[in-house]
Amino acid sequence: MALDDIYDSILGFDAERTSELVRAELAAGTEVRAILDEALIAAMDEVGAQFSEGVLFVPEMLMAAMAMKAGLEILRPHLSESEAKPAGVVVIGTVKGDMHDIGKSLVGMMLEGSGFQVIDLGIDVPAERFLAAAEEHQADIVGLSALLTTTMPAMQATVARLRERNAGPRIIVGGAPVNRDFAQRIGADGYGEDAPGAVALARRLVADR
Amino acid sequence: MHAPEVSFLPPDKITVMRGRVLDLLEKRGVQMEHPEVTRRLAEAGATVDGETSNVRFPASFMEEVLARAPKRVELFGRDGARRLEVPRPEGGFLLRTGTGAHGYVDPETGSYRKATAADAAAWARLADGLDEVDFCAFPFVDGVPVPSADLHGLMAILSNTRKHAWIQPYTAESVEYLLNLAAAAAGGEQALRDAPRVSVIATALTPFSVKFMDLEVIRLAARFGVPVHACSLPSAAGTAPITMPATVLMAATEILAMLAAAQVMEPAVPVIATPLVFALDMRTGRGLQSSVEAMQGAAAAVQLMKQGFGLPTHTYGSGTDSPVPDGQSMAERALLGLLTGLARADILGGAGQLEVATAISPVQLCIDDELAAMIRRLLRGLEVDDDTLAWDELSAAAPGGHFLAAQHTLRHCREGFLPKLFTRLPRDAWEAKGEGDLAARARERCGALLSEPAPEPLPEDARREMAAVVAAADRRLAGTG
Repeated sequence: MALDDIYDSILGFDAERTSELVRAELAAGTEVRAILDEALIAAMDEVGAQFSEGVLFVPEMLMAAMAMKAGLEILRPHLSESEAKPAGVVVIGTVKGDMHDIGKSLVGMMLEGSGFQVIDLGIDVPAERFLAAAEEHQADIVGLSALLTTTMPAMQATVARLRERNAGPRIIVGGAPVNRDFAQRIGADGYGEDAPGAVALARRLVADR
Repeated sequence: MHAPEVSFLPPDKITVMRGRVLDLLEKRGVQMEHPEVTRRLAEAGATVDGETSNVRFPASFMEEVLARAPKRVELFGRDGARRLEVPRPEGGFLLRTGTGAHGYVDPETGSYRKATAADAAAWARLADGLDEVDFCAFPFVDGVPVPSADLHGLMAILSNTRKHAWIQPYTAESVEYLLNLAAAAAGGEQALRDAPRVSVIATALTPFSVKFMDLEVIRLAARFGVPVHACSLPSAAGTAPITMPATVLMAATEILAMLAAAQVMEPAVPVIATPLVFALDMRTGRGLQSSVEAMQGAAAAVQLMKQGFGLPTHTYGSGTDSPVPDGQSMAERALLGLLTGLARADILGGAGQLEVATAISPVQLCIDDELAAMIRRLLRGLEVDDDTLAWDELSAAAPGGHFLAAQHTLRHCREGFLPKLFTRLPRDAWEAKGEGDLAARARERCGALLSEPAPEPLPEDARREMAAVVAAADRRLAGTG
């Protein structure tokens, strides 16, 4: 079945083929919803699962996410307003004083691959910018990343600043020096131990809202 | 005596890689965010892009930088004593403790906590008492104001060891305070300049960039006369390409850019090339220091910096990706230490560190002391001459005889390496002795060393001034006190 081919091309990390097949399916009159749910999102779910199991490696997961994104771009103009609505809006960034962005970018790409709208603020982001972006984009979730031990206090300060707003976005944290304990202590809503973990967490938090 | 070595890069590959590094420096360049440094580099002949702060280094310029760069660096302990030469004239390596770790594995209970100032003090005392450790770095200390945590860390080290201390600054703002603290401990800026009690690390922001903070480190190190370890920490597949030779090229390029910066300071500051090679775990994206590839990369990087560029070189020669000081830790650090030692690194760093340099363990440090002693011995090599060939003894030997009572044996019987921690007892004797396994014996040694009296405190005026520097840092950087 053609939707299976799209699914396979994502699992084959082939962005070009994914785009072609999505175009072909649209032309053939297949339901947009079906392409989105049964091919694109289903494929990324499988990618996430395989990655968590250690079957797929990071570069492969990234390529699959890029393939999914390519397919989604073809689909986008055809999505109805409700279908086009992202799974959620997530503002992500590396906290002030920290220049590391690989992990954060990985999470961003996985979130996009799973249908989230991601606003990536980059590195060395002060609390005020997170706050401003969360408000501007009506973010459901703010994701904070840090790699350095020395910038964990900045993570704490950012959480505190975001909390000063009532009914603010959910806050998730991650990064090498961060753990569940620390996340709890600073008042975050969740901790993502890896990129698929962050996606699962994001989905759960959006569902709970 | 023939010094054994390992080679991952034959001479023709070193030539190729050396050429590629110079190409990268000339054509691609390194971004350097420091107006004064880039001004000086431009004056000296580098090409600076005013908008992007990208600096390109013509090959002839770099060759001159390399020719002028000091090939020997001197480091000192307290009061100008315990002089260390890099490279060591007798060959081999200097050993450095792990730096910047936030975790601490308690030597008695094995439990994990955030390192405190008291832990840093104990760490320094241990380093002071361990024969093979040459210099000591501080962990990231918890329970002090964060913006001046490095000051508190350095204070603990300077106050508790007589050996050379290593400074890893955490912010641009703290660098001058740290150097002032070192000067106070040394008895003044001139004393520090004459016999540098500390050396300091400047780190690239891979790929192809050096931040303002790290160029400030170089600028201030020049002012204070303190040597710099110009460090690149590439992560294969992350901030550097996945294949190790490319990762090595990246590190060399960044280090040489920092070397050039150090050379245009007045006075020029001596630099120790410090490639610290990481590899990303392809299954998780996590950085590793002791993967097989990282070890190969470390050895290759040492080779390139030493044989390709003639620079004193420093890399990880200890450490593990395991969070605990277990068998994996021992295996990884033994392999890494031997490889990088055989690659002829001048400084091996990371003694006592665990979990990809994020934790330190006093028990592990004691074991690393033993490992370093063994590796040093191994690196000495074998002398082959009439005496060691025992020609006379061999010629006179007959079936059924033995060599135990030979004069030759008597002459040499005390030369063998004698371990302090490793056991040589058979099972029954080992059980009867009841001293437990390596970890247990290391724990005991650790306890014994820590119960020895601390080194004599620094003079009272030095201590007062040091306290004042730390207090000033707390006030102005952290707004406390």
